Amino acid sequence: MLVTTTSTVDGKQVQEYLGVINAQSIIGANIFKDIFAGLRDVFGGRSKTYEKVLEQAKEDALRELSEKAQALGANGILGVDLDFETIGSGGSMLMVIATGTAVRF
Amino acid sequence: MKSYFGEYQNAQGTGAVESTVLIFDKNLSIGFRNADGSNAMISWLLKDVEVIHAFSSQGTKLTSSKHPGATLTIKGKEAGDFIKEMQAERQKPWHQKSSGKEWIRNGLLLLTLLGGLFLLYLLIVPWLSEKLATKISIKTEKQLGEAAYNAMGLAGQEDTASSYILNEFFQEMDVPTAYDIKITVVNDNMVNAFALPGGRIVVYSALLKEINSYPELAALLSHEFTHVNNKHSTKSIFRKLGSKVFLGLLFGRFGTVTSVVVDHADNLKSLKYSRKLEKEADIDGLALLAKRGIDPNGFEDLFTNLKTAAGGDAMPEFFGSHPDIDKRIAYVKEAGKTIVIKEDEKLKGIFEKLK
Repeated sequence: MLVTTTSTVDGKQVQEYLGVINAQSIIGANIFKDIFAGLRDVFGGRSKTYEKVLEQAKEDALRELSEKAQALGANGILGVDLDFETIGSGGSMLMVIATGTAVRF
Repeated sequence: MKSYFGEYQNAQGTGAVESTVLIFDKNLSIGFRNADGSNAMISWLLKDVEVIHAFSSQGTKLTSSKHPGATLTIKGKEAGDFIKEMQAERQKPWHQKSSGKEWIRNGLLLLTLLGGLFLLYLLIVPWLSEKLATKISIKTEKQLGEAAYNAMGLAGQEDTASSYILNEFFQEMDVPTAYDIKITVVNDNMVNAFALPGGRIVVYSALLKEINSYPELAALLSHEFTHVNNKHSTKSIFRKLGSKVFLGLLFGRFGTVTSVVVDHADNLKSLKYSRKLEKEADIDGLALLAKRGIDPNGFEDLFTNLKTAAGGDAMPEFFGSHPDIDKRIAYVKEAGKTIVIKEDEKLKGIFEKLK
């Protein structure tokens, strides 16, 4: 599966466009991560705990996107776009939306 | 997750088809098109997969014990290494199913942790905040109190004549203190009085009207004075601040639901604390009356007057965070038994000026 943010791929001709697909992953850091991140907020510095959660959410969204593309018989996803949002009361949860076009080269 | 291109050959051996391969933590998914153009997807569990490096083609050959005969060929060595890595990862102890015993142990550990946090919130944070509050200088307390007084905007409604008499009355009571006590009477129909940090005491005129004798006034002032002298307001502010900061750290910026629950619980806790301080103010105030030989019944009369002023059942604002009035009467009576009463003409004289 070729996953790319570009709209064309060098040396490959798209034979079939299989439609727009999207996948989202909504993930909550747990209460302990929130405590550690809260401390980071007070004392300053990078919050690795939240960074890991963000990474996880992105991975999950891309993984789901690939699964959807595969189910459509695609072997590539073009123009992938990642959106990051906080949702939930107090913005305590993180949402990653991945969008792209499933194609067959 | 990793994705590759490969060639899939089914068990019937009807020619290899180009396929997309997605490798996840526990399984791999093979997607391809059948000869008739329809899409097909097959999933293999990684634990059933056998990886063979084919040196001749420099590729990786994958087979599954659950799907004998079918093979998947992927170019290069990387996919095979990744699968082996995932298989090894699954063998690690934290991926094994935990037994009942471990569940109980982990549950207990979590409970202990939560209990610890609760204890921290209930005991250690308030204790620390209170310790901090006692270290605050009188000067700072005064600034705090004046800021609060100005924010309330009461200065315009002051009854200066009554304020002067009350200050004179309090000075005559001759209470030793490091604080510069300033009493202000405010024209308002709320039956209430309160003390601010640093020495300012505010008495509402409606409450003053309910007072019929000088021991009652002495009781009221000594009660409020104890709030100032024992730093009750400052302690309350610090406790509230301490628990707010702690809860803020725990729950982040409160969401609507959590904020309502947490705030209510927090308020209940501070109400209980405030009742403790009120009792302390009653008892210490009573001791002040005892020193001067003022009738301790002043407290009892004050309480009963206020109760009737409020109209029986309904409690005036004054009692919102105060102990039950009958209980107060009871412990004040008990503590006042031993006091030797002598009529204080000077205080009486000043009080008469009010009427």
